[in-house]
Amino acid sequence: MIEYSHVTKAYKKKGPVVEDFSLAVSVPVFGFLGQNGAGKTTVMKMTVGLLAPTSGTVTIDGIPSHELAARRKIGFMPETPYFYERMTAMEFMRLCDELFGNAGSGRGEIYEKLLKKVGIHGARNFEIRTFSKGMRQRLGFAQALVNDPEYLLLDEPLDGLDPIGRREMKMVIRDLKKEGRKIFLNTHILYDVEEICDELGVIHQGKLLYAGSVKEFCAGKSLEERFMDTVEAYEAVAVK
Amino acid sequence: MKNIFVIAKNTLKLEIRDKILYGILAFALGYIALTIFFGQLTLGELQMIKSFGLAGIYFFTAIIALFLGTTSFYKDVDRKTVYFLVSKPVSRSQFLIGKYFGLCLVLLVASIILGAAYFGIVMYEGGGFDVIGLLAIFMQFLEMCLFIAFAICVASFSTSLISIVFTSAVFFIGHVVSALLIDAKAIGISGLQYRLVQAIYYVFPNLEKFNVRDLAIHAVAMPFTSFLLALAYTAAYVALLLMTAIWVFDRKEI
Repeated sequence: MIEYSHVTKAYKKKGPVVEDFSLAVSVPVFGFLGQNGAGKTTVMKMTVGLLAPTSGTVTIDGIPSHELAARRKIGFMPETPYFYERMTAMEFMRLCDELFGNAGSGRGEIYEKLLKKVGIHGARNFEIRTFSKGMRQRLGFAQALVNDPEYLLLDEPLDGLDPIGRREMKMVIRDLKKEGRKIFLNTHILYDVEEICDELGVIHQGKLLYAGSVKEFCAGKSLEERFMDTVEAYEAVAVK
Repeated sequence: MKNIFVIAKNTLKLEIRDKILYGILAFALGYIALTIFFGQLTLGELQMIKSFGLAGIYFFTAIIALFLGTTSFYKDVDRKTVYFLVSKPVSRSQFLIGKYFGLCLVLLVASIILGAAYFGIVMYEGGGFDVIGLLAIFMQFLEMCLFIAFAICVASFSTSLISIVFTSAVFFIGHVVSALLIDAKAIGISGLQYRLVQAIYYVFPNLEKFNVRDLAIHAVAMPFTSFLLALAYTAAYVALLLMTAIWVFDRKEI
């Protein structure tokens, strides 16, 4: 389970970007929904140990997220990933794998399988600088799976993909769900949440406005309508 | 420790594919080849060949060190490639140390290539194997290791451009600090001014400790204690710089 307990992240100039955030995620696919700049990426960065909370705690199966042991359990795909351009996809997979202490000639088959899964196997020996945005997204996805993680944290994983690519990646996410992995998905695309998530969280201006089942949240209305209602209701209270 | 090795190995692998590095190396090899011509101008004077050859290796490895030290680490952080690495079971200190050793390895490879060309020419000109020349190249390599640590340290809290300016300034100051202190004594500076000169002497690295090119040119052996002292000086200074860089990087919001 990924657990956030009264987490606040504040910057000297900006002030708090995430405020008193508490949540426990244990469902197979959790969609984290919010506008650009709502605090989704900050929450994800704190989960993978890239940022330290100003106060509060983030734990993964009870292990604080800043500890290296917690990172063995996760696979992380950052938003708009930047790679080492002069490496090939296979070399990059190997680098990521070796950082988990894995090595050996047999590992190559695993990288090939993962690259096949995300649909860039044909370009496995090409330098990453020749990759399109969609191919980079797919490679970012593949490297997140290299350690066979229990938890997969994906920051806007469907950005930059064409319609066929989006469909393929959603199928991959569904397959991973069947394998028993827990997926935490950041997105601002409502349709994706509706389609693939079991539960969702709505964050706005750093505050968690809702966390629970998608069906309960919608309550007969469209997700877009409910999302707007929730955000507007919060803003109306905040103005008062 | 294993992660440091993995990052160092991959840094080496990446940097030696850089076309800019190839360009600098090609230029350097061309320059070293030209020393044969310089030797002929001075009627085959071997000292001239050694002088120009060692100075060439020094100059071009300094350019490589400045180029790598100020850009490689900074680029990983600025372009957020580091997200892939430190979201795995890798601490920021392991990343930084691995990066440092990887860049030192690139310099070692460059020094070996340029050194091989230099020794080839010295032997071709009938000078035999230049043992003290080898020591001079090694000392230059040590200086560049310190130089890279300085560049990474500055890049950890500033930008690549500031690191270039600051590291270049330190490179210059590092070569004049000992002369500065001697001159200050000779002309009788005292009080606050002398303390300021002393502060500069102790704060900035004394890079002249690594300059044994004159000894190599005149085939004079380097005292073993000076060699050991230079090794210890490098280790201590590099450790201090990297610890500072780690302290800054650990607190940096990336």
